[in-house]
Amino acid sequence: MQDWKDKYTSYLHKQQASSPQPASGSQLTGNLKTDIQELLARLGENGDLVVRDFQLFGTHQAAMIFFSSLVNTEQVREHVLKPLMARPSEHPGMPDQAAGMTHYIWSTVVQVTQGTTTADLSRLPPAAVKGDLILLIDGVPEALHLDMRQIEMRGVEQPQTEQVIRGPREGYVEKLENNLSLLRYRLQSTDFRIEISPLGTRTQSRVALCYIDSLADSALVAEAMRRISMIHTDGILDAGYIEQFIEDQPLSPFPQVQSTERPDKTVAALLEGRVAILVDGSPFALIVPALFNQFFQTMDDYTERFIMGSLIRIIRLIALACSLFFPALYVSVISFNPELLPTDFAVAISGGRAGVPFPAVVEVLIMEVSMEVLREATIRLPQMIGGALSIVGVLVIGQAAVGAGLASPITVVIVALTTIGSFATPAYNAAIALRMLRFPLIILSGMFGLYGGMIGTILILNHLLFLESFGVPYMSPFIPGKWRDLKDTLVRAPLWWMRRRPSFLHTQDSDRLPRSVPSRAIDQILRQGDEKNE
Amino acid sequence: MNKPRQITTLRAVAVMSSTIIGVGILSFPRYMTEAGNTSAPFVALSGVLISFIIYWLLVSLCQRFPQETLFVFSRRLIGRPLAAVFTLAIMLLFIVLTGLTVRQFGDVATTVLYKKTPIEATIFLMLLISLLSSRRNVLKFSYIHSFYLPLIVGSILVTILISLKNVDMLNLQPVLMAPGVKFWNGARQATYLFQSSFVVVLLIPLMEKPNHAVRAGAWAIFMSGAVYVLIVIASVGMFGAEETKLLIYPTLEMARSAAFGEGFLERLDAIFIIIWVISVFTTIYTTYYISAYLLHKLLRLRDQRMASSVLLPVMFILAMLPSNVFETYRWSLHLGNAGMIMMLGYSLLLWTVYLIRRHGKKVPS
Repeated sequence: MQDWKDKYTSYLHKQQASSPQPASGSQLTGNLKTDIQELLARLGENGDLVVRDFQLFGTHQAAMIFFSSLVNTEQVREHVLKPLMARPSEHPGMPDQAAGMTHYIWSTVVQVTQGTTTADLSRLPPAAVKGDLILLIDGVPEALHLDMRQIEMRGVEQPQTEQVIRGPREGYVEKLENNLSLLRYRLQSTDFRIEISPLGTRTQSRVALCYIDSLADSALVAEAMRRISMIHTDGILDAGYIEQFIEDQPLSPFPQVQSTERPDKTVAALLEGRVAILVDGSPFALIVPALFNQFFQTMDDYTERFIMGSLIRIIRLIALACSLFFPALYVSVISFNPELLPTDFAVAISGGRAGVPFPAVVEVLIMEVSMEVLREATIRLPQMIGGALSIVGVLVIGQAAVGAGLASPITVVIVALTTIGSFATPAYNAAIALRMLRFPLIILSGMFGLYGGMIGTILILNHLLFLESFGVPYMSPFIPGKWRDLKDTLVRAPLWWMRRRPSFLHTQDSDRLPRSVPSRAIDQILRQGDEKNE
Repeated sequence: MNKPRQITTLRAVAVMSSTIIGVGILSFPRYMTEAGNTSAPFVALSGVLISFIIYWLLVSLCQRFPQETLFVFSRRLIGRPLAAVFTLAIMLLFIVLTGLTVRQFGDVATTVLYKKTPIEATIFLMLLISLLSSRRNVLKFSYIHSFYLPLIVGSILVTILISLKNVDMLNLQPVLMAPGVKFWNGARQATYLFQSSFVVVLLIPLMEKPNHAVRAGAWAIFMSGAVYVLIVIASVGMFGAEETKLLIYPTLEMARSAAFGEGFLERLDAIFIIIWVISVFTTIYTTYYISAYLLHKLLRLRDQRMASSVLLPVMFILAMLPSNVFETYRWSLHLGNAGMIMMLGYSLLLWTVYLIRRHGKKVPS
């Protein structure tokens, strides 16, 4: 092992020498030494690159090359090295010539599920980087690369951002295979398709596109594939990168792609005919198309009985409306139209505001901004400090601000309602959009009163009506609306009543449940009872 | 994924109705009572009928060319230059109409409710949101209208329902008086509110069933007509004919006197004005959209964005031209007259040419 000083000098040397790049696409020669040298030159100098020479069956010179950081060395020893180093007597069927050796090894010796033979030298370095073990044999112009990749991962945990009271507790992890297996085991259908391909010129992150073949609109699948294929970038580190490349309107504050940590939610979306996109290394799946409607739905709405689900969803909508409109409405009523309030209440409010030196709009803006600061600060902090900070924040914003005459008590109430309301929106990105949009609304209301707030609201609504996600209008199923699609919007209709899939997704099979057969057990029991009585 | 014909009949109805219900709703009962005293509802009703006839005259012709807008097939009927002149005239009509409508809106907004907001800002903001929304295609245009229509009609109906408890049937009698010149003048004035139903011309080539255009118009005109007639009935029933004549904005007074929930909200009028802002927006949006559409067709611009941006200063200046409320009112009456004469004349001209040509040689349609 060199120490750092030697490394430094050799690095400098290399920079000055600037060796010419080896020509790509060359074939393996069959000479072990030159092949290894060529391969090492292409892979470059790496601390975790292992080259292990050994005697294949005691007769041939051979070597294997792999990255110790990507490969489980214990498995390499057990399943590859041990059988390969066996005595020739244990392999009576061994070919005499070196030529048939790779085939013999692949078919009878190594116990590895995936691997390929190739004579193309340029294909080996990418394979090694991916986690393959490369086996070179002297005198054979072919290499065998075996998939030995094993990466340590955290276990499946409960999703942090989308917790449920009732429902599955599993969330995605970073590793793509695990995530796909979470999907496959929920969706045991032969129609479930997963298309995987690398993306990102340098990271080569594997991106998986999942859909149900007999359900999803083929135009939608094609469009998703087309958009992904048009991404040209060096690195995809998270699903969020992909989202930004494929969304319809990058300038809109509203998310047009849904991201979720929950496999059950993904499967539900797939069953509606949507398309999911997963990336290796990201614990989030993207679901397209995403509509406004989806951002206040949670898994709980469906796992609980429909009355509860509907009521909670309405509460959530009220919270959403609160977080957007409440401060603006307050500002415009207080500073422009106090006559709208009942007299007693108006008097109480103006009593509370007596010592406040600012106009209502400034007061609300100060409080809202400090609330946002507090929220952002607590999110990034470790739990222990976060708790302490929120206590300080509550004291400052709640009690002390009123005491110091910075804000009136009613403003504190309004700001608190707004903030809590925004936390009740299940989708974090949609909640942020609404939270940020309330600032322009407050300013417009402060300038033009109710009229300004109205103008701002019309602008936001028009924007929502104009927006599209993968060709589907963002406000569907409200506008353009179909009666039957409204069953899963403001309220959540009972599952046995939602017999059809959303029509705006143009699914190939529009029926969830068979049309004529009653799907509730109780209906069928009653029907059988009637037949017996007759 | 997208079909070319996506505008359903229902959506066409929504576009026209929300366009028709607009700025006039506040003062409408006053004009009607001035024309017909207690028979004001009948003045409004005859206005509705007349406007439907005008609508029918134009649109039944348009239905015969389901693939094209009026501006395209008129070229084939009466020749390119003449058609261009008429298109230009229609565009000017709608530009002035937008300007005057937004001015009327500004007058009401600043004098009645938003007293602290300068009229220029009110007008400019309204034109600005119309501009920003006018840059989209006709399909999105129809989405906007169908989204807002239930809000508008719903809340107006609620306000009427609440104020119905204050209606005294005696105020509405005698129900019908002998119609005179004044009566028919009032009816004619009522038709001006319905002129923007012309917007259907843009929709026909995109409608799922273009031959339902007349039906859609009938629904729209009679539905919004019913809203107008109900408002007249409610305010005349509430205040009596003589009192209604004295009120500048009888509908607003009606909303004002309708307390809701015993003091939960002291007055309903601000809420009513909020809804009214939406209904004015949909009206101005339509006329703005038609103007921008025509400008973009006339100048053969690539898209509508440029056209709609150019129109903003023009309309703003037009809106600031009248020196007071009365002048605005007088101008818009003249404009209404001009619009009615032109629409009638143009439809008749097109019909005549169409019939002559059809007898002479078949017009490919």
